[in-house]
Amino acid sequence: MNDDLIICRCEEITCGEIRSAIWRGAATLTGLKRRTRAGMGLCQGRTCGTLISRILSRELGRPVSSFEPDTSRPPVVPVPIRVLRGDHE
Amino acid sequence: MRRAHDVVIIGAGVVGTSIAYHLSKHGVDAVLLDRGDIAGGTSSACDGHVLTIDKNPGYDSRLAQKSQAILHDLIQQLPLDAGYRNWGSVLAVESEEDMEAAERFAESKREHGTAIRLMDRAEMRADAPNLAEDIAGGILCGSDSVINPMALAFGLAEGARQNGVELQPFTEVSAIDLDEKGVCAVRTDRGTIFTRAAVCAAGVWSPRIAATVGIQLPIRPRKGHVLVAEQDRLPYWRNMLEFGYLMAKRGVPREVEPDMEQCGVAFVFERTVAGNFLLGSSREFVGFEPGVNPEVVRLMARRAERFFPCIADVHIIRVYTGFRPYTPDHRPIISPVDEAPGFFVAAGHEGNGIGLAAITGRLISDMVLGKEPIVDPSPLLLERFAAN
Ligand SMILES: Cc1cc2nc3c(=O)[nH]c(=O)nc-3n(C[C@H](O)[C@H](O)[C@H](O)COP(=O)(O)OP(=O)(O)OC[C@H]3O[C@@H](n4cnc5c(N)ncnc54)[C@H](O)[C@@H]3O)c2cc1C
Repeated sequence: MNDDLIICRCEEITCGEIRSAIWRGAATLTGLKRRTRAGMGLCQGRTCGTLISRILSRELGRPVSSFEPDTSRPPVVPVPIRVLRGDHE
Repeated sequence: MRRAHDVVIIGAGVVGTSIAYHLSKHGVDAVLLDRGDIAGGTSSACDGHVLTIDKNPGYDSRLAQKSQAILHDLIQQLPLDAGYRNWGSVLAVESEEDMEAAERFAESKREHGTAIRLMDRAEMRADAPNLAEDIAGGILCGSDSVINPMALAFGLAEGARQNGVELQPFTEVSAIDLDEKGVCAVRTDRGTIFTRAAVCAAGVWSPRIAATVGIQLPIRPRKGHVLVAEQDRLPYWRNMLEFGYLMAKRGVPREVEPDMEQCGVAFVFERTVAGNFLLGSSREFVGFEPGVNPEVVRLMARRAERFFPCIADVHIIRVYTGFRPYTPDHRPIISPVDEAPGFFVAAGHEGNGIGLAAITGRLISDMVLGKEPIVDPSPLLLERFAAN
């Protein structure tokens, strides 16, 4: 994979930025997210999560399955504030 | 892992990394331990306000201001961009009656040297055109800022590492050992480290560590929820808190619906460098229960819409929770421990740890090195709880 390749499209994070964060100590999907913002955008990593696990796996020489998925948090899909607050008035 | 260090710092949140960084500038031989990754605790489950506006007039305001000043300089030296932005913050005041209280609050803060300014209804609307029309006014503090707390912790850790501090994440401390002179070792799941100085910066988990040297810390988890909104839909360019937030923070009764009062819901708006905005806040004592409570989310969303009606159609992309390290007097414990020489506590920053990280690092560095402390630490010492 080319270093200029955009891996996380929501936050425009490149493969090079991800590799650099792994080099600086990121050893998990969550650790990568906190260092680079990869997976923090609108899709919350649903698109790029697998790809990022593969980069981690290659750089650290561990199987893809050894990387726990990032902590998933509600809401599962983006929800408008109007819906969250319920309709009273 | 080396077997001996002059100083062992336990916990790599904003507080522990700031301590590591400050000590590293003096060339101290230190190791920074965390049972998880750097910035894996409360420092990654919070907001990033660096505030003086919400602090009590007097000591608390001065401490926060001093911390802001240290952070302002520190930020230029860090090897990573921590997303520090000096956008200022505004306390929004709902009603004319509250305006009087707000004026008194502003006046006494000014007497203690905080540069803040009252804004009337018209001025508020000019600064924040999207604000609900009936908001009576506000107080503006121009020195208040935001920062990305995780980036701050990573930057401080990296800075400390470049100055020679050893970083040792994924290493859990199980106990601290004492001999006749005081601290002699820190035991971890990856072996024992011999040392004469151990700093406990384990946030809300600090009581467990202090207990191993027979010290009780009055720190409890005070849970908070944060709503993350999508990018590019900002209703305002500064940060904003409702005046009632000051009451919620101190547990003083407010004029809001009982369920809001119960969960300590008060409006907090943070603009992030990434172009999102974050909505807070809630305050609950529910132990270490991390789940997102839909009822609390509902109340927070309602409260936010009350101030910025235009955000009704903005999407929330994520909700997270974190645990503030609460203390009974809402002040951190930044202190040596007489009963265990060589043991220092830097924990209990409740909802102020990001803003106070800089001064905490400096104070602990002063204490460990036996220097004259940069500010009078007496209101922060552990012994203040001994009388009760
Ligand atoms: C919802 C919310 C919003 C907030 N908003 C703000 C704000 O806007 N501005 C502000 O100033 N503050 C805010 N705060 C408060 C701030 O987040 C905290 O005060 C601060 O993060 C505490 O930092 P810390 O380094 O003390 O603790 P932490 O970041 O929790 O770090 C402690 C570390 O110790 C480690 N640890 C624990 N036990 C052990 C062990 N046995 N061995 C090794 N390591 C261990 C943990 O893994 C953790 O990484 C907020 C808090 C919450 C919950």
